[in-house]
Amino acid sequence: MKVDRRSFLSLLIGGAAGTALSPLPWKLTDDLSIWTQNWPWTPVPPRGESYYETTTCTLCPGGCGIKVRKIDQRCVKIEGADEHPVNKGGVCILGLSGLQLLYGPTRIRTPLKRVGKRGEGKWEPVSWDQALTRLADKLKEVRAQGAPEKAACLLDSSRGTVGHLFRRLMTVYGSPNFFTMPSVEDAYRAALKLTQGIEARVGFDLENADFVLSFGCGLLDGWGSPVRVFKANSTWKENHATVVQIEPRLSNTAAKADHWLAIKPGSEAELALAMANVIVGRNLYRSEFVDGFCENFQGLKRILALHTPEAAAAATGLAPEVVVKWAVEFARASRPVALYGRGQGRTAAGSLRQCMAVMLLNALVGAVNRAGGMWTVPDYDYIGWEEPELDEVARAGLERPRADGAGSGKYTPASSLVQRLLGSGAGQLPEVLMVARCNPLYSLPENGAVKDNFDKIPFVVSFSSFMDETAANADLVLPEHVYLERLEDVPVTAGLSCPVIGLCQPVTEPRWDTRSLGDVVIALARKIGDSAAAAFQWDDYEACLKETLEDKWDTLEERGFWYDAEFRPPAWEDGEGKFRLAGGKLDEVLQADEIVPAGDPAKFPLILVPYDSIRLAHDYIGDPPFMIKAVGDDVLKGKDVCVQINPATARKFAVSEGSIVQLITPVGKARVRVHLDEAVMPGVLYVPRGLGHTAYDAYLAGKGINVNALIGSLEDPASGFDAAWGIRAKLAKV
Amino acid sequence: MKQEQTQHRPKRYGMVIDLDKCTGCGSCMVACMAENNVSFKKDESDKLLSITWMRVYKITNGKPFPDTDICYIPRPCQHCAGQHEGHSPCVSVCPATATDYSRETGIVSQIYTRCFGCRYCMAACPYHARYFNWWDPVWPDGMEKYLNPDVSPRMRGVVEKCSFCFQRYQAAKNKAYLEGRRELEEDEYQTACTQACPAGAIVFGDLNNPDHLVHKMVDPDLKHGGRPRNPEVFRLLERLGTNPKVYYKSGRQWVRKAGDNYLPGEKPGADMHKSHS
Amino acid sequence: MSSQEDKVKTLSETPADCQAGQGSGGGPFIVLFFIIGFVASLVVGWVIFPKVLYSQKSQPFDFNHRLHLEQVDDGCQSCHFFREDGSFAGVPKLEQCIDCHEDVQGESEDEAVFVEQYVAKEREVPWLIYSRQPNCVFFPHAAHIFGAKLECRTCHGDTGTSESLKPYEENRITGYSRDIWGRNIAGFKSNTWDRMKMDDCAQCHETAGIHDSSVQTGRDACFVCHK
Repeated sequence: MKVDRRSFLSLLIGGAAGTALSPLPWKLTDDLSIWTQNWPWTPVPPRGESYYETTTCTLCPGGCGIKVRKIDQRCVKIEGADEHPVNKGGVCILGLSGLQLLYGPTRIRTPLKRVGKRGEGKWEPVSWDQALTRLADKLKEVRAQGAPEKAACLLDSSRGTVGHLFRRLMTVYGSPNFFTMPSVEDAYRAALKLTQGIEARVGFDLENADFVLSFGCGLLDGWGSPVRVFKANSTWKENHATVVQIEPRLSNTAAKADHWLAIKPGSEAELALAMANVIVGRNLYRSEFVDGFCENFQGLKRILALHTPEAAAAATGLAPEVVVKWAVEFARASRPVALYGRGQGRTAAGSLRQCMAVMLLNALVGAVNRAGGMWTVPDYDYIGWEEPELDEVARAGLERPRADGAGSGKYTPASSLVQRLLGSGAGQLPEVLMVARCNPLYSLPENGAVKDNFDKIPFVVSFSSFMDETAANADLVLPEHVYLERLEDVPVTAGLSCPVIGLCQPVTEPRWDTRSLGDVVIALARKIGDSAAAAFQWDDYEACLKETLEDKWDTLEERGFWYDAEFRPPAWEDGEGKFRLAGGKLDEVLQADEIVPAGDPAKFPLILVPYDSIRLAHDYIGDPPFMIKAVGDDVLKGKDVCVQINPATARKFAVSEGSIVQLITPVGKARVRVHLDEAVMPGVLYVPRGLGHTAYDAYLAGKGINVNALIGSLEDPASGFDAAWGIRAKLAKV
Repeated sequence: MKQEQTQHRPKRYGMVIDLDKCTGCGSCMVACMAENNVSFKKDESDKLLSITWMRVYKITNGKPFPDTDICYIPRPCQHCAGQHEGHSPCVSVCPATATDYSRETGIVSQIYTRCFGCRYCMAACPYHARYFNWWDPVWPDGMEKYLNPDVSPRMRGVVEKCSFCFQRYQAAKNKAYLEGRRELEEDEYQTACTQACPAGAIVFGDLNNPDHLVHKMVDPDLKHGGRPRNPEVFRLLERLGTNPKVYYKSGRQWVRKAGDNYLPGEKPGADMHKSHS
Repeated sequence: MSSQEDKVKTLSETPADCQAGQGSGGGPFIVLFFIIGFVASLVVGWVIFPKVLYSQKSQPFDFNHRLHLEQVDDGCQSCHFFREDGSFAGVPKLEQCIDCHEDVQGESEDEAVFVEQYVAKEREVPWLIYSRQPNCVFFPHAAHIFGAKLECRTCHGDTGTSESLKPYEENRITGYSRDIWGRNIAGFKSNTWDRMKMDDCAQCHETAGIHDSSVQTGRDACFVCHK
């Protein structure tokens, strides 16, 4: 038998017939089609038990309660905690993106020691013990020279046990140089001190106001505790309250307000004072408050005399009757409140004069410590630690002046002026700088100068969880847990009318070799030894926290927050407390010169103003991938940031939609993309904060420009706060 | 068994978004991404390629400064019922039975394993609510940990879109079954965007149920495709006759007008019922 | 040069070859080859193919369902329970076993493995799950157990009374368990629990009369069982 072609074909045909009658082709077809549905590189999230754990979000000062949905050990979603007094179930765009920070690639996984040049990105992982020893040795070295004030630390705020632990460490070490990042709350606090003579914070009873006069306050752009303000805004809509937004750009706040008063940038104080003038001149002020509880009304009248509606009209660009109209409506409302803000208010305190002018409006309509008004809320006082024992060196060090000058002389109203120190280089730079929970190298204005000054500091330590700009330029990084991994108290300020303390509780095991910042401070104090060690007797941070919050601890653990719902601000009673309207330092503040943006108008015909967007995180935290994805293409296109420019101005300078131009200011220049927008005032250019990162991951870094590199700072003459709201600018061809 | 089923009143899940309360913050977009395992790329600024089941559009009244006004319009899948129920633009063109309309819930589904990526549905959708996966989704190392097991991650080559968080309906039904119920309470099934919205601008529920807030706000004319009777409420591109189940509410006329294409001088709502005659 | 030679050779040989074929290789052989091909492919398709298609995996250790079922009060749900949210917990976690199996109780080697390798080390047992559905499937146990009042064995057969675990067979192409397609390679089934493909779900839904919500198919809408 020979296998010829025909037999072979026969074999094949037989084979085909047999195959067709076997399950093989049909089963294989089914299996292959299933195979195409499941690629090994498409993740299949493991199933498991679904449950929630609650904690407090610390990504912004807002203090929202959140619940984290978990599947077995994985965190899969962040949602708002329904019963929380701050956010009542809502959650903001940044809060929702939190898990990308927890699981993201920008986490620092272990303590790092710089080995290359600064900022070069060459690190050597070290143990916690080595890292802490190195830092403690450095601190001891500085102290041994008898100059403990040359060690400084910079935090986001001084609130809570962690803030106080740092402050305690600096005190016992002997340095007055405990800095906090600037915020608009600094200005409220200073104004409160000048008018009422008390150290307290300002809260706003927004929900109960029926007329909101906002001087540039980014109510819906992330000011205060954002979710709470959004909810208040919805309440205003339901109750038909009137919201008037005063700012040169149609921000989200202005768009949602009932009325938008587009005034020239920087003229807010003029407008507020003119409105005060109208209210006083027409006897529209609440005499029961002004005559009953205010001091020096005559003095105020004298100052206001100059601020006529006509003068304000010239400054603001509004018609005088518009100024009068809104002053009258404001005064006639039953529960009016005026707000000072500067967008989100997380970059600088701004002009104290402006803040004070707005506060005076509240006083004139009696909206102080009254329903729907501006409230004086006492500082949280649960931290009652014994004063530490100080040694000779510490006592001497604490006597020395602060490097930023805050709290003394001309700068009395301020408690921290880090911009003066790092931006203007006004004081003596520290030898050791410890930076926690802030990113000054990115978020302070006058970015270039800040970087230069940073380079002059011999030893910089970062406690950041993420490889941000400051961490990338540090000498030593001691990464702390992210908020979802740590236990901590979160006393909320952010303009809340009632005191709320949130508890940040770990909802997951630490992902990397990081530590709780409180534990790091305690361990550091132990390493420094002597009086420092003696001042930190707690076993660990958790013990410290529980002891400190003793009477509130059970509530905190059980509910996740402590809330004084019954809180009401001190009522005005005869003989007690007075509201000063003028005189002394107040006169100096109110009569201070207007803040004029830097630059020669002849060379720089335009004005650049940074703006805040709720979709762009711009302080300590950079935009996680979800958030940057939500940024519109009229803000960021490819790697170019869009500069918003009025079409009329664009025509004048011969630029058109989408063209790439150089944006030049007296302090820097950058490549930007033109976006024509009727929402901005002619002659004013707007660039968002929050872009232009050089650190973080490929989802954020290298996109757009850091507007802080284009703007400078201007010292408020009465307080030393950074009062710059913009800078002169021009456009040029690339 | 059969009888028990047919006794069920079918649902028409729908949404009404108060555009006067909406602040354009984008929380709904991110809540949706986080809930539904929506992927992200390094550059998302080309919005034609950016997958956002819920997208917040920005519109302006076109007037010059300072009379200009802007409004944000969050746009999930509109879950169109079509001219006769289920004749949604996308469902009627799908050659793969990958997208479907459920008469039980009124939800337009998308089954990724069924889809073969022809994108007819994208061409048919007048709302740009459908997105194609041009690339395989990639989560940076470690980030795949947060993925929700209730939603299948998609693969390259398929279309995806908003499902009204159907997995939440399934979960709520599970609980109801355990407790011996068939019907869901209003608050048991809410979409991720509704839940997250810090302004409380999104209301979600059953349009067929007069007790649900969404019904009360819209007052839908169910005989005419669910057309809103509330004069402040409108739907996008009403005159196409797609009969969406996503409604918008605004007190501003220019916003309501922007929801459809009108001739100069024509008032919104004036000619709606004649549009298909 | 050589290729040319080859060509010539081939050409010259062909006719002779053909003749030979015509003469001797005809009729019966062709049928024989057909039958060889036919039978061989049937053997490949019915016998070898399933063996090649599925890889056999053994469970970490054996488990006696019958023995356990006798010990518990609440039937299958004693261990395979529903969580409070209505979701089905599936295969028990260590946590549930640990009450009884803190220490080795019996003489079974498998129990010793369990206690030593898993309980003592607090490691979850990596069970291979016979009835695991693809990721795109949402199967609500609650709807079937509480809603339709189905018994476990309708889909899972007599697992509850089995004394040992069968080997787990994994489809090499799809990665799914053999139980989804069923033991029978042709897909035939004689019991409701023999197969767990979509068609089997649909069949049951049809008999139950819940099959009319889909506009596309007139059967159940996709968003009932899919996610």
